[in-house]
Amino acid sequence: MKSGLNKQDGGSENASSVRTVILGIGNELLSDEGIGVHIVKELNTMDVPPEIEIYEGGTDGFGLLNIIIDADRLIVIDSLRGGSEPGTIYKFDIEDAPSSPDLFKTSVHQIGILEVINLSSLIGKTPKTTVIGVEPKSISTGMELSQQIKEKIPRVIEIIFEELNLKAAIDT
Amino acid sequence: MGKRITVDPVTRIEGHLKIDVEIENGKVKDAWSSGTMARGIELLLRGKDPRDASYVTSRICGVCYSVHQLCSAYALDDAFGAKVPTGGTLLRNLVMGAEYIYDHMLHFYHLTALDYLDVMAIANYKGDDKELLAVKDKIVGLVKSNDTYPLTPRYKPDEYCVNDPDTVITAVKHYIDALAMQAKARNMGAIFGGRQPHYQSIVVGGLTQYPDINQVLQFKTMLDEQAKFVEEVYIPDVMAFGTGPLFPLAKMGLGGGHYNYLSYGALKTNPPKNDLLFPAGVIIDMDPANLRVKPFEAAKITESVKHAWYKDSKPLHPAKGVTEYDLDKENGYSFVKAPRYEGHSMEVGPLARMLIKKDPALIDLVKKGAKPGAVARHAARAIETKQVIDACYKWIDQLLTEMTKPGFKIHDSENWEIPDAGEGAGFYEPPRGALGHWIEIEDKKIKNYQAVVPSTWNASPRCDKDVRGQYEESLIGAPVPDPDNPINVVRIIRSFDPCLACAIHLIDPQSNEVKKFIVE
Repeated sequence: MKSGLNKQDGGSENASSVRTVILGIGNELLSDEGIGVHIVKELNTMDVPPEIEIYEGGTDGFGLLNIIIDADRLIVIDSLRGGSEPGTIYKFDIEDAPSSPDLFKTSVHQIGILEVINLSSLIGKTPKTTVIGVEPKSISTGMELSQQIKEKIPRVIEIIFEELNLKAAIDT
Repeated sequence: MGKRITVDPVTRIEGHLKIDVEIENGKVKDAWSSGTMARGIELLLRGKDPRDASYVTSRICGVCYSVHQLCSAYALDDAFGAKVPTGGTLLRNLVMGAEYIYDHMLHFYHLTALDYLDVMAIANYKGDDKELLAVKDKIVGLVKSNDTYPLTPRYKPDEYCVNDPDTVITAVKHYIDALAMQAKARNMGAIFGGRQPHYQSIVVGGLTQYPDINQVLQFKTMLDEQAKFVEEVYIPDVMAFGTGPLFPLAKMGLGGGHYNYLSYGALKTNPPKNDLLFPAGVIIDMDPANLRVKPFEAAKITESVKHAWYKDSKPLHPAKGVTEYDLDKENGYSFVKAPRYEGHSMEVGPLARMLIKKDPALIDLVKKGAKPGAVARHAARAIETKQVIDACYKWIDQLLTEMTKPGFKIHDSENWEIPDAGEGAGFYEPPRGALGHWIEIEDKKIKNYQAVVPSTWNASPRCDKDVRGQYEESLIGAPVPDPDNPINVVRIIRSFDPCLACAIHLIDPQSNEVKKFIVE
């Protein structure tokens, strides 16, 4: 049977004029740091409606502006160090997390994805953005996810679909 | 003993870098440059299919992925004995051309310009230009909402910062315009790279995706727009600042260093002929009046680990390099090794390339009294961006001609099979400077892989002879009248466009408030 996704009856926010982007961020050479990329790869094997654009963003920082500026709706999937148990899933809207004042200062890298989204407002619109983060277990060199993190992939994908009002219809 | 201050991390660079400087009598007396992140990507490649090297090394750095992918492909071409057809070379050159345009403009406007501007002078703009007033509204709005990123955090403006409202507001408008231009430039590489980031089409022997005429014309149209901006905005801005308000910094030679320069040479202007847009060469202890360029010999490169957190060994050629950590080393202060050429600490990058090329525009600036240093680096970047654009037009014309020939090829499919054993080296000149990849193959698998990236040369720590790296040396004597405001230190470091393998990027909030966002 074909795996697939269907829009919920009653219409989703993905009308044809609305550009929806799912952006997986991270470095897949650093184990759980690459969770966003692994999830995007998984999404690419699924039957996601073609009007939803899916990108592996890597860690390109400024270089992702071209992907972000024309989007209306943006879902960012990333590893997020919030101090909770490994595998904890976080979700927040970008307006709840301004990049420059105190809350979301990115310290490990200089130009983070949150700053880039913020910059997009200078040259156009800032998409309505939801960040879904997963607390990593290990970020040491390696191309595999920790088992504990790998097991979270289906749930993260479910959350993405809920967020986009898409009903998962994945046959088992 | 002077006062020691630390700049950590140096913001608005791409990567992880810590600079310690000792200040005495208002000047830098000594300096230490530390790469604070272990890469160890080389270890990940051992035992893999050699053809995977382009995929994996493309992920060494999130920003310079095309650069590593291409350099790795050149190392593999060498090891496999593959001969890239002219069409493949032209496409690779165009991908790199797009990278140059993107990278150099981004560096000037978004990573370094704010070191030379008193941005808040915008509030004093009294003119009636509608576009500039819109910029003023935008920036004043950011200030009012207390969300002034990316204009802050910053160091306090000093006497070299431009504070004339008309100049500042025009510069900030160009900052915003350039933001849109760099986003467009990023799309150019994807036309022939297959996608962006992390191009897919570049492999040993050439590329996998044949271009069609529409793609070539699309690339050309996008190049036209970039060329216009570079000629009408970027180059005039750099030259106006460099010969105007920043000329005193150029004259004092802020950020000079060892005056040793290295270029591996890259980008065939008219393939398959070997003429290079950026020639290879070496300058030791430069004398501006008598610029002597020696030929580059790869065998003269060694890497010292005396002050790096790796197990001690005598200086080794990178092809024989080892990556074994020793984190308890008494002399160690960096994860960056210390590459040397014939024992010398070298600068790589745009300034090195333009001096080795004996570029007339840059030589002219030097003759007018601009010593090679921070300001000259910005000028060199602008000059070579124009050269790359001109070359791109030639490559497009040549590609269009090649495409009409019967048997047009972009890949050497005869040499795709992995050799049982072999060695290969790839030498390249991406925007930040000399990049080398070395591969050793045994039993059809990768036995050893080493990369020496441009910032390894520039950001290197002291070597086995305790000679400073180029960042370190370039800081000596820099004026720092106020230790709490080391603006000249960051000006110098940023002028090199540091990129220390920005391989980690995870969102790392500073507050426990993140807990409220837990879903499960």
